[in-house]
Amino acid sequence: MSAPVLVCEGLSRSFGGVKAVAGVSLALPAGQVTALVGPNGAGKTTVFNLITGNLRADAGSAMLRGRSIMGLKPHQVARMGVARSFQDLRLFTHMSVRDNVQSATETSAWFWQPGGAAARRAREAATEEALARTGLTDLAEARAIDLAYAERKFLSMARILAARAGIWLLDEPASGLDLASRLRFGALLKEARAQGVAICLIEHNLDVVTELADRIAFLDQGQVLAEGEPQAILKDPKLAAIYFGDRGEAA
Amino acid sequence: MIAYLTNLAALAAIFGILASTLNVAVGYAGIFSVAHAVFFGVGAYAGAQIALVLVPDALLAMLVAGLISGALSLCLALPALRVRGEYFVAASLGLQMMATTLFSEWKSVTGGIGGLTGIPRPHVFGVEVGTLPLALAALGLILLATAALMRGAFGRTLRSIRDAESAAEALGKNVAAAKALAVAFACAGAGVAGALFALHMQFVNVESFNLDQSVLIMAMVIIGGTGTLLGPLVGAVILLSLPAGLAFLPFIPATEVGAVQQMVYGLAMTLLMIFRPAGLVGDLSRGKSMA
Ligand SMILES: Nc1ncnc2c1ncn2[C@@H]1O[C@H](COP(=O)(O)OP(=O)(O)OP(=O)(O)O)[C@@H](O)[C@H]1O
Ligand SMILES: [Mg+2]
Repeated sequence: MSAPVLVCEGLSRSFGGVKAVAGVSLALPAGQVTALVGPNGAGKTTVFNLITGNLRADAGSAMLRGRSIMGLKPHQVARMGVARSFQDLRLFTHMSVRDNVQSATETSAWFWQPGGAAARRAREAATEEALARTGLTDLAEARAIDLAYAERKFLSMARILAARAGIWLLDEPASGLDLASRLRFGALLKEARAQGVAICLIEHNLDVVTELADRIAFLDQGQVLAEGEPQAILKDPKLAAIYFGDRGEAA
Repeated sequence: MIAYLTNLAALAAIFGILASTLNVAVGYAGIFSVAHAVFFGVGAYAGAQIALVLVPDALLAMLVAGLISGALSLCLALPALRVRGEYFVAASLGLQMMATTLFSEWKSVTGGIGGLTGIPRPHVFGVEVGTLPLALAALGLILLATAALMRGAFGRTLRSIRDAESAAEALGKNVAAAKALAVAFACAGAGVAGALFALHMQFVNVESFNLDQSVLIMAMVIIGGTGTLLGPLVGAVILLSLPAGLAFLPFIPATEVGAVQQMVYGLAMTLLMIFRPAGLVGDLSRGKSMA
């Protein structure tokens, strides 16, 4: 196993009295898929928000290749190579599919992008490649708002592909996909893993997790209850009880 | 009649500049400002003072007016854009109210309520020129620049911020910087329009730069169609011709034209928002919520 690219230690964040994330430690190695699993409200999305700078942590640290990214703004974290998707997608609804993707390659806020014509061709190539890999080339001129559900999910992935990031934080990217789309999504993820991308995948469907994850971190009430090989975690009856909601009856 | 039409055309070009530039903020970046007339005013006073005190050179007046309005808006936008959309509207309203007071009180620069009079006719390279060709040339250049910017990466950045700000940030875009630039571009354009207006009217006072004017410019953008190149122009022409058009209707007494005009504006805005939320030129699906 290669050295982790992103290392979080003791990340914590409360909202009022609710401890959404309470001392989460997580390491994402290059070329591996780490699944973040846990019941609704476990704090999975909040962990992403703490890493990306969308939320300030009350305590804890996040290091990217040995550099702290705590306190950075979301766009600064993104520029250091962390790409994320959103549970509710947040597509650029009134822009074309191609503009959605191309926009992911343009990080300068200035009137024009740096690097001249060569850089522009490289951005356009990255755009077309991301469209092709997500099967959206034929829909490139359609607007995001006009896409079907699965296509929207793939557009969200295409933006991440085009951003050429080394770390992907994916928030339920496969939820609600039909079998064929899920297989396409799986292939996409495996390709990125083979290219050395460090992937963190929030996913409720345990079939998807079993198929794609190299490791699982099991989160409940803001804490990592267990971390390890998928088989070991998924076989644990205690975790299964929490995950499938038996705890209610036990308490 | 010719003079009347020339005057109307020059005003249409000037308000076309105002509406198109405000559209960069409203239509592309989703920044709603009701203070565009402030920067129109700043440009007008700057242009007027240059013509009165220095030289009546139109290019110099427009350049300096654009720079001052743009720079001032940048200073104001950087802190103001940190607040959420609804609060930005309120902040711009506050700015508009302060500016109206400042325009009427700062007599040494603005001439107070009485305004600045006797502004000399515009010259270009020492030759006197009409304001219509000047205004049309400025409008053309600003439209070209807007089209080029909005079709490229900057336009994509602004539209991505408008549609999903947090996703734009997550892709590495410095949202605050992009918004501030959009505002500075828009307000620099308003400054240029202000200088043209001063040279055209040869007289300016605070009444042209108050909240009513800001609302009128916003109405031009919304009625014409936000986020399109031609929409704001269409809106400017329609709203400028409306008073003249109403005055020709025999059954409306001249004293009531103002009131009728307000009613027509209001009715048009309301009906439009219900039936064509994207404006006359805008695309039909805009304004509807995502299913
Ligand atoms: N911005 C916020 N303000 C207040 N409370 C929040 C905020 N974000 C998250 N929470 C709370 O923190 C807890 C964890 O939420 P989070 O969204 O991280 O859960 P999750 O594991 O992603 O759940 P799901 O599977 O439903 O997406 C919940 O109780 C939630 O209500
Ligand atoms: Mg979540």
